[in-house]
Parts: sequence; structure tokens; C-alpha cells
Amino acid sequence: MATTLSARLAGITLPDPDGRAVRLGSLWEASPAVLVFLRHYG
Amino acid sequence: MRAHEPAFREAGASLAAIGLGDRHYAQQFREETGITFPLLIDEQRAAYRAAGLRTASLLHLVRRDNAAARARARAAGHRQHRLGANPFQLGGSFVFGPGDVDHYAHLSETFGDNATPAALLAALRAAPPAGRR
Repeated sequence: MATTLSARLAGITLPDPDGRAVRLGSLWEASPAVLVFLRHYG
Repeated sequence: MRAHEPAFREAGASLAAIGLGDRHYAQQFREETGITFPLLIDEQRAAYRAAGLRTASLLHLVRRDNAAARARARAAGHRQHRLGANPFQLGGSFVFGPGDVDHYAHLSETFGDNATPAALLAALRAAPPAGRR
């Protein structure tokens, strides 16, 4: 069971605007990452 | 936030954003702003739900702090692009890693309630650098 928020998010895969799938955990696997959830594009 | 990407990089971190709009609007936003960091699309709000992000109500629209936040954004030259699939969805900012380690979490309580770059940089400076957990 995931014990941290980052662990809960890590397995989620989302597309980028070009259609490439990105696993969220890959963003902070090797180095720290700032992850921002936008309310809108702007 | 994109203006602070160089400072995040200098602190050894990357920046990524998640939005609710569809692919077309994400492409448009990326082109208009010239951002080069990852921009991901969460039309089903799976990540928003997993992160426990909040939803505003109509009452938030008339809050004084919301009006002040809009004025600040306008004064800073920001303009609002298209709203996402749910205009009442609130955002959030996090610092994670390396590995599944949480260093900072800010869940917006209303529309203009965003993490400050200073708070994010402070969390990054306290986080272990790449390759160390």
C-alpha cells in the first residue's frame, strides 16, 4: 500500500499534448521535481 | 510558475504541470507560453483525485481574497487561458523525490491560493539532491 502521496501518484500515467504517455513517478524517480496541478491553462 | 523554472533547475529539480483541458488546448497553451517543461493532461481527474485536491463553490467567486488574487494576476501581466473541464477544480503544488518521498504539499483553498515560488525553493533546498534518498 502506498504510504506517501508521491507513491500514490507515481503509478498514474497521463498523456502529454503530443500523445506520449508519461508515468508520473518517472518525473521524480531520479531527482526532485516540482509538480503543479493547474486550475486552468494560463 | 514558469518564470521560476530556471531557479528550480538551479536547485537540482525539474518542473512539470498537469492540466484538465483536452489535448488541443494543452497544445495551444504550450505554444502560446513557450513552455518546455512537461505538460500533462488529466481529463479524467485521476491525478487530481489521488492528490486530494479540492473543488471550489460559487461562493468562492465573491470572496475578497479571490478578487485580490485576480487583480494581482492582471497586474503581473497574466491572462487566463481556457478553463479546464471543471472550472471549480482547484490546483495544488508539490515537491517530491528523488523517489517516492514527499517534501512539500500545498492544496489550494480558493482560486488565487497558490504556493509561492519561495516556499517551493525552500522545500527543494531541504530535499536530497539527485541520486540520494
